[in-house]
Amino acid sequence: MPTANTTIPIHGPVDLLTRLDSPDPETKLKALREIKNQIIGNRTKKLSFLKLGAVPAVASILSSYATEADSQLADADVSISNIIVQSAAVLGSFACGFDAGVRAVLDAGSFPHLIRLLFNPDEKVVDASARSLRMIYQSKLAPKYDFVQEKNMEFLISLINSECENVAGLGASIITHSCETSAEQRALCDAGVLEKLISLLEGSLSQKNATLESLAAVFKNNPEVISKFVGLENERAVEGSLSQRDSSLESPGTALKNNPESVSKFVGPESGSALSSIIELTKDRYARTRLLACMCLIVIRKASPNYLQDIGIKAKLVYLLLELLDDPGQVGDEAPFVFSSLVAGKEDLQKLAFEDNAINKFCNQLQKGQLHPKRLQGILLALADLCSKLEGCRLTFLSLKVLNQVIDALTHDCADVRTSACICLRSVTRSIKNLCAGYFMKEMFVIPLIRLLDDPSVSVQVAALGAMSNIVVDFTTRKSTFIQCGGIKQLVQLTKSMDSTVRFNALWALKNMMFLADDRCKEGIFLELTGSLLASLICGNDYSFWCFGTFRHDPV
Amino acid sequence: MPVRVEETSSSSSTSSSSSAPSQLSGENASGHTSPPVCTLLTVGQAFSGTQNVSSIQKDEAWRVNVRIQGCDLDHGYLCGTMEALNVPMADTPVVTFWEGEIVDGKNYTFFTGKWEASSEDDIRHWTKFPSFQPFLEQVKVDGGKSLDLNNYPYIFMRWKEQYFVNVGTDCGLTIAGFYYVCFSCTDGSINGFYYDPNSSPFQKLELKSTNEGRSGFSFSSYELQ
Repeated sequence: MPTANTTIPIHGPVDLLTRLDSPDPETKLKALREIKNQIIGNRTKKLSFLKLGAVPAVASILSSYATEADSQLADADVSISNIIVQSAAVLGSFACGFDAGVRAVLDAGSFPHLIRLLFNPDEKVVDASARSLRMIYQSKLAPKYDFVQEKNMEFLISLINSECENVAGLGASIITHSCETSAEQRALCDAGVLEKLISLLEGSLSQKNATLESLAAVFKNNPEVISKFVGLENERAVEGSLSQRDSSLESPGTALKNNPESVSKFVGPESGSALSSIIELTKDRYARTRLLACMCLIVIRKASPNYLQDIGIKAKLVYLLLELLDDPGQVGDEAPFVFSSLVAGKEDLQKLAFEDNAINKFCNQLQKGQLHPKRLQGILLALADLCSKLEGCRLTFLSLKVLNQVIDALTHDCADVRTSACICLRSVTRSIKNLCAGYFMKEMFVIPLIRLLDDPSVSVQVAALGAMSNIVVDFTTRKSTFIQCGGIKQLVQLTKSMDSTVRFNALWALKNMMFLADDRCKEGIFLELTGSLLASLICGNDYSFWCFGTFRHDPV
Repeated sequence: MPVRVEETSSSSSTSSSSSAPSQLSGENASGHTSPPVCTLLTVGQAFSGTQNVSSIQKDEAWRVNVRIQGCDLDHGYLCGTMEALNVPMADTPVVTFWEGEIVDGKNYTFFTGKWEASSEDDIRHWTKFPSFQPFLEQVKVDGGKSLDLNNYPYIFMRWKEQYFVNVGTDCGLTIAGFYYVCFSCTDGSINGFYYDPNSSPFQKLELKSTNEGRSGFSFSSYELQ
């Protein structure tokens, strides 16, 4: 049976912006809703609206309606509240995962209005404002919150104490974004924020996730705060257990109460504490919560040698993070970075991961091709960390035939991916066994690396020099390959770089190039370098010992 | 250094499993420290000498050059190249790459536990070095796990050739065996015995440190990033 066509017409961006200007609140509201629906999760749409100036237009609506709501005190007009809620939602959506959007929202002056709206009597307005502010606080562009100031700390605590899920989550997000120094960590700790955050670990999914992130920020490199965190919780556990015991135990109990370290020994480092809550969250049904719990535990174990050092927790973290790698979304993109933070510089963990087939798992991902740049960057960094110390890892990596993918990544559009590919090659080329076999002194490695010496990004240049410094050690007579590809010319150019790290690494590569080089090679280097440049390098920078080392005892 | 493939040999010339730093054997939990840093056991250091490859039919010795290319004392790991100069069946000097296990009681003990070497084979070879004698009784008990070799003026090692650098595996030579090595920290001399059940027993390697490749007081060196 034919029915009436009820499809809602979709308006174009220009039309919608015109409707925003309408004096009719209903038209305005509909336009705001439609913009929100069009841009949600759609980066291209966000950009096109952004170019048309949608953000200042919406910000202006928010500002004027917020002022109007203030003047009405309590019981503001419902239509006013609806417009505020929708305009805040639109601004939040522009800011979500989109730095250009965050910048536009901040430039339009919406930030103080959104903060002011947190005090609005209408819960929906408060919730929408908090949600938008959370989006802003996910970006590095968000303003740093100075909670060392007493009033600011009070405000922050009022946020965390809020019954509203988004408001409490906002408090946690502010901590994640703004807590950087040990003084700030201590201030939060002294203000009792840890206790509040612990209670949020039992909240909703978004609260749990925001809390895990903020705890990681408060714990980072601060064993004192971690000890207090564990001690506070254990005190509760001890109090609970002591109340059921004979009064003769009162004495040891008192001793334990004032000594967090003794407490952790008494009840075991993880039992009955907030640590166990975090450990429990590694089994959560949501992948993101599991990832963030792992991240938090890694921060704790890295900062404090007293906790989470046993083989069981190490093996568990390795296993969980490798499992999360299979997540097709954002969690899978971020998992390699968290994995890297776990194994970087830790030979025991690298060995554990190696035994858990980590190399194979990361290489399998690489072979899938067409990876999101973030994921590709993370995988390359994880492989770099895994291959940084153990020859067994390097040999397994080389046997899995993924070098072509790494070489392709050297020419990736994203500078971070290029850097990571170089760092990965730097680790792999530490294999003396393969250097001796001349395995790396091949055009397939050398040519793209030499090209990267001209890269506009200094990080890429430095990383490329790192890989190159290893490759040129080559113990065979194949050093001529590097010279023929123009490598010496480039290295010498970089010894004149304005950037001291680039200069240092270029000299490092030249020094390694000289190792067991034949006279022809040494002549080539000296002709390119020239005596005058060598003299100026010796006299003019902090790395004169490198310059001496380059030609020392190896006269041409 | 490669040796001739004997008629009776059934081994191939391919390398066996790598004794890379990560692959530790004879590991124990005792808190031994690494051997003392010896200035003559560093990257770039060269040695030259001979390996006696005499058989019942013929007295023969090949000239040998060795250069250390990598050293990781924490992992008891050493590696380098070995060049055999007057090999009868080869047109050019034959270069091989070897990896070494330093007997430090932490990463490796005197017991090889692989490469077809029994503990009896180990003791039979180690006792050829006079400097090993003080350790004999303890090694019989635990392979030397409990010995403190930290300040001993000799360093005991095993060197295992892994691959040919400049010739193919069809060159008629084998690197199936390995060397028991004793290095003198005092004068940089190296004595070794090649062990391969399919080759002539106790082929003696004798090397002395040389100044080859250096013009001053140190070798050129490299540092990996």
